[in-house]
Amino acid sequence: MKFTLLLFGLAQLLKIASHLNKAFKHAVRKAQVRILITTRDRERARLFTFDRGKVSSCGGFHNDYDAALVFKNAGIGFKVLTSSKADASFNAAADGGLCIRGMSFYAKWFQDVTQLIR
Amino acid sequence: MAEIFGGHIAAKYMKEVEGVDTVFTLSGGHIENLLDGFNQYGVRLVDVRHEQAAAMMAHGWSIYKNKPGVCLVTAGPGFTNAVSGIANAFLDAAPLVVLCGRHPLRDDNTLALQEINQIDMVKPITKWQATCYDIARIPEYLATAFRQAVTGRPGPVFLELPPDILFVSMDEKNLVFPEKRTHRTRVLPHESELKAAAHLIDNAKKPLFIGGSGVGFSNQDDAFKQFIEKIGFPFALLNNGRGALPDSHALCMNDGGFTAVAAVAPQADVIIAAGIRFSWVMQATKLFPQAKVIRIDIDPAELDNMRTSQVGLAGDCGDIFERLTPLVKKADHSPWIETVKNAYQAMLVTETEQKNTVSDPILPLRLTQQIMTEIGTDAYYISDGGDTSYYGMTGFMSDHRAGVLAPAGSLLGCLGTGIPFAMAAKLANPGKPVILLHGDGSFGMNCMEFDTMVRHNIPVVCVINNDCAWGMIKHSQEMSIGHDRCTCSELELRHYEKIVEELGGYGEFVKKDDDIIPAIKRAVDSGKPACINVITDPTVVSPATAMFYQNLSDF
Repeated sequence: MKFTLLLFGLAQLLKIASHLNKAFKHAVRKAQVRILITTRDRERARLFTFDRGKVSSCGGFHNDYDAALVFKNAGIGFKVLTSSKADASFNAAADGGLCIRGMSFYAKWFQDVTQLIR
Repeated sequence: MAEIFGGHIAAKYMKEVEGVDTVFTLSGGHIENLLDGFNQYGVRLVDVRHEQAAAMMAHGWSIYKNKPGVCLVTAGPGFTNAVSGIANAFLDAAPLVVLCGRHPLRDDNTLALQEINQIDMVKPITKWQATCYDIARIPEYLATAFRQAVTGRPGPVFLELPPDILFVSMDEKNLVFPEKRTHRTRVLPHESELKAAAHLIDNAKKPLFIGGSGVGFSNQDDAFKQFIEKIGFPFALLNNGRGALPDSHALCMNDGGFTAVAAVAPQADVIIAAGIRFSWVMQATKLFPQAKVIRIDIDPAELDNMRTSQVGLAGDCGDIFERLTPLVKKADHSPWIETVKNAYQAMLVTETEQKNTVSDPILPLRLTQQIMTEIGTDAYYISDGGDTSYYGMTGFMSDHRAGVLAPAGSLLGCLGTGIPFAMAAKLANPGKPVILLHGDGSFGMNCMEFDTMVRHNIPVVCVINNDCAWGMIKHSQEMSIGHDRCTCSELELRHYEKIVEELGGYGEFVKKDDDIIPAIKRAVDSGKPACINVITDPTVVSPATAMFYQNLSDF
């Protein structure tokens, strides 16, 4: 539940940032990228859509992503996404807690733009 | 009294003193006597169908043979046609010796045939350029050209040889060839800098070594092996440094391509960057802002370029590895290496699946995997194109030095380099398979060189990754201006394999996954230059396109 709420909260933060955060607005103004964050069992998931400055999201698993952050379980997902450590995702990937499907370039991009709202 | 022509003097000098055995060229009136000289002195001439291919072949030759490559082009359009190849060698820091015809000195400012100021045009893209005015000084000018090409950071040099000196003769007994010397003087860093580097290396917890063309041109692979195995850093070898140690080496990250570098570099606490410039591909200063960086470069001015290094070591990479090795402690970073490899493999899940899954339509990475399955690592691989360069760099592995190259992915981004490089690879390594993965767009740029391959018996196997588009540009346009507004980036289905068949080579057309390997076998068995035209999924976008688009969209 915590993970699902976190994804919902992240979606709201990204939407607000797309209106108010100058650096974030600049970073996403041309992007057309779909990022899925999901657990491996697909039970908890949310798709984040960046469309030329607009950010939207919808809950649940979707196949039409550019990159997907697939966490082994919700606990690891919560821990990684709320970590203040820059290497949290890298370490999770190394430990088998996270894999990237699709194009990892976009996953890195997503990580970079979400840093702007921290 | 034995007379010798200027053109013959040049050929004799290059053969006897510089050891030139192969020259890439296209004939022309202004250089006739020099061509005749090469014949006279037994220098192999590989004559191409467009001068840019001659320059690019010589560039490739310089990498595969680790010595200057020589191209000879005629005046005017012969020169201008070669310019792309010269510029590419300049940005790639390759020791290319360009010999060029010129309108007669006698006819300066008379609107002579092909009279243009070539020297001023070539100045920004060469290390050294000159016109020789005196038949007796031809050897001296050539000696200077060859020396300039390899001294310090390598690069192209340009020597104009006008007919006024090529077509006249002099008494051979008055001819003096400069002695070819190998200087033992080396630029080396101060001992304190070496010790500072050793201190950083010994205290690294999450290290990374990134090597570039400077490691390759240094030509001291054993020194690199001893150094890297002692310090135990995971390493990536990029550009023309790839293959200084095999891709299969336990410390090597090249199986992860640039994704591995991009994933690991931001985590590293100490990075050794050897013989590599921080270009846009390296994301300049952005990729590893936190790491302590030890830079090794032949050019001292490069050491703090783009970002300040914690330690800068000027000199030849191999020389510096030799000096650092006794100063560093033997280290084992196995846990870190396991972390690194697990992390980047976790980021390549989709690519790995694509390689190992039958696909319809064929996915480009599946195509590279099928090629690897049939040919293996005891081969030379080249790729050419936008997205196609990425697939080649990521999908191919080789045991050999410069065994995987994507010359179109170098700083000039010069499509069309693949065929000339593949020809150079085959001529330099006649006993090994040479496989060229080509985009269909870039194939059009030098495909007439299949005629050169047939005439000179250079059996390269070219596999076209045919998405019927300038894929990288098309996908970038889709991202930037929309799917419905793509402009000048669509191509159509063409049977390129039939062009090759008509030129005397072997051709096949492939649409099904199951047909890839049998077609490659037949192409290799034909013993001819071959083209396998493979239709691939046009919707696939490579990470290189995303990076390319991002680089140009941040305005």
